[in-house]
Amino acid sequence: MAENKKPSPIEGIKERSRGLRGTLEESLNDEITGAVREADHALVKFHGMYEQDDRDLREERANKKLDKLFSFMIRLRIPGGFMTPEQWVAAHHIAGQYSTGVIKITTRQTIQLHGILKHDIKPTLQAFDKVKLDSIAACGDVNRNVVCSSNPKESPLHGHIHAYADKISQMLLPKTRAYYEIWLDEVKIETYNENDPLYQDRYLPRKFKIGIGIPPNNDADVLANDLGLIAIIENDELRGFNIAVGGGLSTTHGNPDTYPRLATVLGYTQGEEKTLKAVYEVLTVQRDFGNRSDRKLARVKYTLDNMGVESFLKELEARCGFKLEPAKEFSFIQREDRYGWMQDHESNWHYTLFVENGRVTDSITVPLKTALLDIAETGKANFRFTSNQNIIISDIKQEDKIAIDDLLEKYALTSGNNSASEFRKNSIACVALPTCPLALAEAQRYLPDLITKIEPLLDQHGLLGEGIISRMTGCPNGCARPYAAEIGFIGTAAGQYNLHLGGDREGTRLNRKYKEHLHEDDLLAELNNLFGSYNSNRLATETFGDFTHRTLFAEKV
Amino acid sequence: MLAEHKLKALSELTNGLSKEELIWVNGYFSGLVAESSPQVPDTLSSKVNKKLTIAYGTETGNSKKLAVEFAARAKKNGVQAKLVSLDQYRFNDLTKEEYFVTVISTQGEGEPPVGAQKFYDHLHNNGFKVPSMKYAVLALGDTSYPMFCKTGEDVDIQLEKLGAKRFYPLQKCDLDYEAEAGQWFSDLLNRFDTDNKDQTSAPLISPAPSTKKPAGKKVYTGRVISNINLNAHGSSKKTFHIELQAEAVDYFPGDSIGIIPQNDPLVVAEILSLAKLEGAETIRFKNEDLTLAVLLTEKINIRFLLEKFVIQYGELTGCLLRGRSDLVTLMRNTLVNDKEKFISFLLSLHAIAPRIYNIASSIAAHGEEVHIIALKDEFESGNGKQIGQCSAYLEGQREGDAISFFIQPNKRFRLPAPDKDVIMIGPGTGIAPFRSFVAERDVIGASGRNWLFFGEEKFTTDFYYQTEWQNWFGTGVLTNIALAFTQDGPTGRSFSNKILQESKCLFEWIEGGAFVYLCGEKDPMGKEVEAALIKVIEGEAGLSSTAAIEYFEKLKQEGRFVKDVY
Repeated sequence: MAENKKPSPIEGIKERSRGLRGTLEESLNDEITGAVREADHALVKFHGMYEQDDRDLREERANKKLDKLFSFMIRLRIPGGFMTPEQWVAAHHIAGQYSTGVIKITTRQTIQLHGILKHDIKPTLQAFDKVKLDSIAACGDVNRNVVCSSNPKESPLHGHIHAYADKISQMLLPKTRAYYEIWLDEVKIETYNENDPLYQDRYLPRKFKIGIGIPPNNDADVLANDLGLIAIIENDELRGFNIAVGGGLSTTHGNPDTYPRLATVLGYTQGEEKTLKAVYEVLTVQRDFGNRSDRKLARVKYTLDNMGVESFLKELEARCGFKLEPAKEFSFIQREDRYGWMQDHESNWHYTLFVENGRVTDSITVPLKTALLDIAETGKANFRFTSNQNIIISDIKQEDKIAIDDLLEKYALTSGNNSASEFRKNSIACVALPTCPLALAEAQRYLPDLITKIEPLLDQHGLLGEGIISRMTGCPNGCARPYAAEIGFIGTAAGQYNLHLGGDREGTRLNRKYKEHLHEDDLLAELNNLFGSYNSNRLATETFGDFTHRTLFAEKV
Repeated sequence: MLAEHKLKALSELTNGLSKEELIWVNGYFSGLVAESSPQVPDTLSSKVNKKLTIAYGTETGNSKKLAVEFAARAKKNGVQAKLVSLDQYRFNDLTKEEYFVTVISTQGEGEPPVGAQKFYDHLHNNGFKVPSMKYAVLALGDTSYPMFCKTGEDVDIQLEKLGAKRFYPLQKCDLDYEAEAGQWFSDLLNRFDTDNKDQTSAPLISPAPSTKKPAGKKVYTGRVISNINLNAHGSSKKTFHIELQAEAVDYFPGDSIGIIPQNDPLVVAEILSLAKLEGAETIRFKNEDLTLAVLLTEKINIRFLLEKFVIQYGELTGCLLRGRSDLVTLMRNTLVNDKEKFISFLLSLHAIAPRIYNIASSIAAHGEEVHIIALKDEFESGNGKQIGQCSAYLEGQREGDAISFFIQPNKRFRLPAPDKDVIMIGPGTGIAPFRSFVAERDVIGASGRNWLFFGEEKFTTDFYYQTEWQNWFGTGVLTNIALAFTQDGPTGRSFSNKILQESKCLFEWIEGGAFVYLCGEKDPMGKEVEAALIKVIEGEAGLSSTAAIEYFEKLKQEGRFVKDVY
């Protein structure tokens, strides 16, 4: 613990922010710059946006005596990743009018828009508000978008469990009206004295992520969250949840004190009231015990390890006023999305559509964005986002299925879905360059090309049908959860990646660093060797992740 | 100002003069003025300070923030501090630096910020010396990284290797840099003051009195040091910022330069070849003996000829021609066979007219340099797109090329006393003289306030000199800036509307004695701005429109509203 150390500068900014208001109004009126004032950088995150700039253009603009091309990424709060068709139509048009036009589906089941200029933030958020969408707390040191196993087909209880995502999100929203005042022109309250018993004026030491998983599918990567709820279902009834704490994947290159970690299951709760109470108090423990001086060591995983699981649990139970029951048995067997058509227990239809890196845009070959607009405009399908950055066109009545199918055919979306390799369909990349300020290397602009070069290698070794999970990030912060992949590519510098191997397919074992700073040729050569060796030496039904873990790491331990 | 009979005599004299002649007369008069008027009082304060440059290399903005604070504090203490971002720093200036403070952060595994990489490489790769430089480095970093403040350390060591003298020791700061950095700079400023006091005890070398211009216009040769298109990708405009270095050049903020563009040598070669002429033939043009090639390149206009010349050309070739055309286009279709007649046709063509540009630099701030801003002038003619002669000529200028120019004094467009407030209204290229004004007032430490009104099409692509205005705003030299970008936002905002929006504050400044300057396009912008100003007066002073116009006229008479529109 670093209690004697000085709090990080962000702590002061939060405390002085008068309920996250800061000088945002003044920042919006600063005509001379496209950026917000420095202290407001941290605060806009709590309102669901990041200030970014186009790094590709920095040098050219400096030569032209122009400031960086600042813009904002706005991320919505969509608990469980569910949108009505009307909301999708609105998002489509808002993206076209104010952003780059691309709708990016994130790894946390929400969407984000990039390239929004400062003077367009208000119109953007007001347009979203018209269809009851907001971006409150989508970023920042608060509870972020709550994710939940996305496939309604997984269980008849899906709807019931899914509703928890919404309840948790509501319960953990900051109480300040700042968002409504600043962006939606709500009349200002005279003096700021909103009482927020959860966040107080300190908020959390760092971001906080919650995921809900419905075994046997771990598509929500529930153990990678600060807090994971694992639904325990017996005889088709929801019994309660296992509570897992301390997941988190971000690390810092060159800082050995940082590490990725999967959540530890602390116990089990039954009933909505107790479950929500336990969730709430995990946040208060983190609020009071988390590291507020070093943001690199401030996630709940470090709090848990510093306190020790026993004391953390004890503190949690004291705050809850009840003891957690012993954890129940559960088992995850996979993490992938089930592409194509599926029918649920109520006879409604769902179509899971592969969206490479979650980027919804019209390309020359696939007019994906137009197609989804057409589908949304029928009003006959909802939109669900998966943690693998795909879309489920969902809740389609039997009698409407033909109409939707015709549209999928018309825009050749079904053939795209079928022709992409399993390897490609199980890949994720983060945004990285040019807008992410943290990026050291490319990710979503590069992974599709790299996969095109990996596919022939897989083919050569007869592995094209394997659903090996691969993930790429442009930095070690873990947005695309690369440490929880069978193959992780983690950018260290332009064109260079650390190669991580040995994660399992279900998301219950992290991978480990195999080689550092590899260029593309080396990556391909390494993978070629590994695929060859996997093909000849694998045990029956052994996944690639398990194979590399056994042969490269486990034996040496 | 002028008695009526004198004015009459003057207009009789000037009526009917050609543009060339007018320019000459103008130069003649300004020569007379220079000889007769007492020396302009030296606006530099008697406290002779060394120049202090504060350069920053930033990734997240912390270095920039500190550098801006430092510069503002230095100025408050009466130190001439220049603020510059390392991604815009001209390496040639290193040898001219006196006191050079670098504020620079370290990224990732010990690398400089991306924008400072070139500067860093330049320091390390180029074998040059900076013996007259005194320097100090403030390094920002993060102790959780192994290579804490490495870039700052490197710069500190390397400058010493290049022969510079460290006048204040390196300071390394962690994430909570504010207090330490602030203290460091205070101590550094004290050292700077002490150093300079020591020097003031030595006999001062007073600034050399500027040698006065001879009567008539002096033609300078400027070497192009930089030619940049200021508009970013996605703009509908192309606006060039051109920096010329010219020995002993002398002018005041507010002055203009005249540039005589040259014709494209390739076109001239084609004309000569079509006409089967050598180019070396000597001819007499306006009392000068020249070769034909020089005539065609430097003296006569051969582009977009007036219809009367086209008709004349047609008559010489026996064709019926109409409209306007380039000479070379006419020749590609039909030729004048008689060389004598062709040459006398050439001699009858108009001389190339000089193009006048407002100067965007200040000698006090930029040294012996002239900066201009030139909009690429593209217009439709019957035969497709035409490009204005001078802007085409300037666009083709590369670093190292030579351009001939003369100074066109603009005595009515001068800065007031340093303690007066100044309102500058300059949309588009009208911004030029105001960059000169503010750079000058920055350097001389003028105490009056400065307010810029600027407008263009789009904020992201067309905000000329944005980073410079930001630095001046950050250091308090620029008090206010009001911007109107007509293509941003749902309805678009007109420029003169912005003036109405600022009505209250604007009138307070005017009532308080501010000087108002307007530069840029005459019609409709200039007219709209004047109408808007009258409306401001009307509204804020509660005057009738006639009374407001009178008020405005009085401002003009007092020289408190001055314009340079075109």
